[in-house]
Amino acid sequence: MTKTDLQGTLDLLVLKTLAQNGALHGYGVVQHIQSASGELLRVEEGSLYPALHRMEQSGWIAAEWAMTETNRRAKYYKLTAQGRRQLQQAEESFDQLVKGVRAVLRYA
Amino acid sequence: MAIFRRIANLMHRSSVDREIDAELESHIAMRIDENIARGMSPDEARRDALVRFGNPTATRERVVAADAMLGIESFWADLRYAWRQLIKSPGFTITVAITLALGIGVNTAGFSSMDAVVLHPLAVPAMDRVVTIAEQQNRGNYAAVTLANYEDWQKQSRSFEEMSVRTSADMSLTGAGDAAHVQVALTSASFFTVLRTQAILGRVYAEDECQPGRDAVAVLNYGFWQRHFGGDPTILNRRIELDQRVYAVIGVLPKAMQYPSEADVYLPFAPTPQQLANRTARDYLVAARLRDGVAVNQAQAELRTIADRLAKAYPATNLGSSVHLEPLLDGINGDLTPLYYRLVMGATLFVLLVVCANIANLQFARGIERRSEIAMRTALGASRWRLLRQLLTENILLGLIGAVGGLIVGGLYLHLILISMPARVARYMSGWSNTSLNGRVLAFSLLIAVAAGVVSGIAPAFEALRLNLVEQLKAGSRATTGSGRGRRLRNIFAIAQVSLAVALVIGAALMSKGMWSLLNVANAYEPEKVLTFAVTLPTARYDTPQKQAAWYAASLEKLRALPGVTHADVSTALPYTDQGWNDDLEIENRPAIPGKDQRALHLPVSEGYFAALRIPILAGRAFTKSDSLDTVPVAVVSRRFAAQYFPGQNPLGRRIRMRAGDKRFDPWVTIVGIAEEAKYTLWDQTQYAAAYLDAAQIPPPAATYAVFTSGNALALAAPARKALAKIDPALPLDTVETYKQLLNDSLTGLMYAATMLAIDALIALLLAAIGIFGVMANLVGERTREIGVRLAMGARREDVLGMILRRASRLTAIGLGTGLVLAFCLARLVANLLRGVRPDDPVVFIGIALAIAAIAFASSWIPARRASRVDPMQALRSE
Repeated sequence: MTKTDLQGTLDLLVLKTLAQNGALHGYGVVQHIQSASGELLRVEEGSLYPALHRMEQSGWIAAEWAMTETNRRAKYYKLTAQGRRQLQQAEESFDQLVKGVRAVLRYA
Repeated sequence: MAIFRRIANLMHRSSVDREIDAELESHIAMRIDENIARGMSPDEARRDALVRFGNPTATRERVVAADAMLGIESFWADLRYAWRQLIKSPGFTITVAITLALGIGVNTAGFSSMDAVVLHPLAVPAMDRVVTIAEQQNRGNYAAVTLANYEDWQKQSRSFEEMSVRTSADMSLTGAGDAAHVQVALTSASFFTVLRTQAILGRVYAEDECQPGRDAVAVLNYGFWQRHFGGDPTILNRRIELDQRVYAVIGVLPKAMQYPSEADVYLPFAPTPQQLANRTARDYLVAARLRDGVAVNQAQAELRTIADRLAKAYPATNLGSSVHLEPLLDGINGDLTPLYYRLVMGATLFVLLVVCANIANLQFARGIERRSEIAMRTALGASRWRLLRQLLTENILLGLIGAVGGLIVGGLYLHLILISMPARVARYMSGWSNTSLNGRVLAFSLLIAVAAGVVSGIAPAFEALRLNLVEQLKAGSRATTGSGRGRRLRNIFAIAQVSLAVALVIGAALMSKGMWSLLNVANAYEPEKVLTFAVTLPTARYDTPQKQAAWYAASLEKLRALPGVTHADVSTALPYTDQGWNDDLEIENRPAIPGKDQRALHLPVSEGYFAALRIPILAGRAFTKSDSLDTVPVAVVSRRFAAQYFPGQNPLGRRIRMRAGDKRFDPWVTIVGIAEEAKYTLWDQTQYAAAYLDAAQIPPPAATYAVFTSGNALALAAPARKALAKIDPALPLDTVETYKQLLNDSLTGLMYAATMLAIDALIALLLAAIGIFGVMANLVGERTREIGVRLAMGARREDVLGMILRRASRLTAIGLGTGLVLAFCLARLVANLLRGVRPDDPVVFIGIALAIAAIAFASSWIPARRASRVDPMQALRSE
């Protein structure tokens, strides 16, 4: 039985985004998820920022203030070693979840 | 650790808030930028961004919560729960709080004193980079430095940022109330830069003031400023007169800069060119600051190379002379003080261990009562880790309550320590006046409180979690006995308490015994009946031997004429005072071997000295009234002197010269007598050869008077002062006290160590007694039913009594056994510190073992009697 829930899914999306893009600010994460999902997924800012901060406190991601290309100060996040392990676990349990859900849907 | 980050976030909440705001604002701004880039009008772009973002306040709140409250929340809940649990059993909580307060209190006070005296005696920044440099003769004695060597070191070495030199002088302060004798440190201006110290008032002197003619400025030590000038804030630019020379006060040093500890006044040292070229007068002390990255032994190696070069260049003066470096802190502390503190702190931490063992025992007992609570929580789904965390939180909370009590106890204890220290002794302890409950002490107390909480809680907590859920819930609220393992652990704790107490009590007893023998070392002289004081003759007015000798003759005559005085004499050092100089000497017709030292205590004494101190003359004669400046100078040597320098020969009639290397050397003196040994050192185990000279022939510039009376010595102080003021009203008398007090002052440190150790031992003993009582009382409580059955089956009450007492005796015996082994180790440590302490003193070991056995027996007697009085009917029914 996996413990993946909706929040876990958001964490997975954020971690994966950071793993693929290196350092990104919150806005960049929103944009990336939106475009990478073919506009299917839209991340709520009200959920994204608490999640980013919680993951930072847990040591999965690290943050740093830097300038954007348009010369704005923004807080950039990047994956830590611990975050990378977390991502791997999250991906595995997500696969389990998908397999499980699929199996249920195909039944009957 | 995430938990610390969260706590830290709580502390600076506002800056975290600001950062979150900035982050969210930058998000909205980026959205606006992009909207504009897509062609929206600025207003439209802004509105769209805000709408998409949602409620910013709610988002911010949630982000803050993510930052701070995740771990804290449950920690808080644990803390609240723990508090409620503690309130529910006030008897337990109060007992634990009081024992912890005692244990933490003595540790806080001990550490606070150690911190001030040993760890941070001076407010010198980067103190570990400051070293003192001494000359070393023939790989042996460390000696002060000659000025010419200092100059060469300074020019040729690369290891030091800066070097400083100082020497000391005794001067008379006049023109500000009574004439006073002040101790002066003559220092180079670099002295203050090496120590990186500034004046708290005014300034310290600069390089250009260390030249003859420009050096009439003075800096005061804080303590002296307080004592002599009442801390007068308008002291700057005041003129003071030292040895008839006027100086302007330009500054006052901070309180935490009592270095050198005896210095009252600092004057610029302005050496003449002749002084700078002198390679024989070893009168100077050197302190230096190492360059960054240079280790003490590297610097020492460099200076030794230079010293070897100098030895080749100036063999007459420098042969066999090397260099020794020592960190400044080691020099200030000396050898004994840190050892005392370590001993006392070690003992005090032992006390805390006993406290922990005691609390652990109480926790075990409580754990049994709390089984159903824990079983219930486990059944409701609490994990083991969760419960353990909760139990430990409870212990840490207890520790913190104990820390608050401990700070109060510690503060009181520290206050007692501070007020019981005589000011005349405290003056010479560099860090003493800085003693306070500062941040380091608070941190230390907090740390040991948390540690004590965890240490005393961990074993009982694990034990409490080791329960059989089903059995426990089935048994319901019925009292059950503790597991065998738990009881074994409790026994071990009781044994540990007894053995720690045994070790501490024996250590303290040995220390007290050693101290007692030191306190009474000079009893043969009846030191309480002897008045002593010191006089330093100002060189300006007493500039010839004639004037000095006349003073001694006149002053002794006046003193001897006082009623009740049996003897009045002077010496540069009295027995057991650790004073007196071990000086170089020369023997006539015997060339000195370069590199081989000939030394003896240099003791000018008045002619009645041997009679007053009852030192027998073994051969020849003592000094007489007819020995004077006009007759041949004579000397009396000690038995050891004769054996050491004239083995198998008759020293009488031979001539010697003291202070041979010094430019103020004495004249040749003829040995006319041999005196029995007298001991001048108290701490030093070595017995030195002594050469007594007649103070009437070679008058010393400073001496200690000993006035022997038939009764109350202190009552003589006022008449003595008055009598001497008639000869010279401007001459101050220093440290007027009895010989007994003079000796005891040098034992103050030891007395403190012994007293603190005794207090530690007492607390440990009390706790051990409570510990045994607790274990036995609990045992009886748990076995009431069994005892009831036994009695019902016909066991006699004496059998029950015996059964319980036998059990207690077994615990005590094991505790005593391990305690004696531990005590023997501690005793060896004490014996190293104190002369006259045998680590295997049988009286102390056996006496204390018996006493503790008796106390343990007494504390198990009450529970044992209760057991024997159990009413079988009631015991069986109550189950």
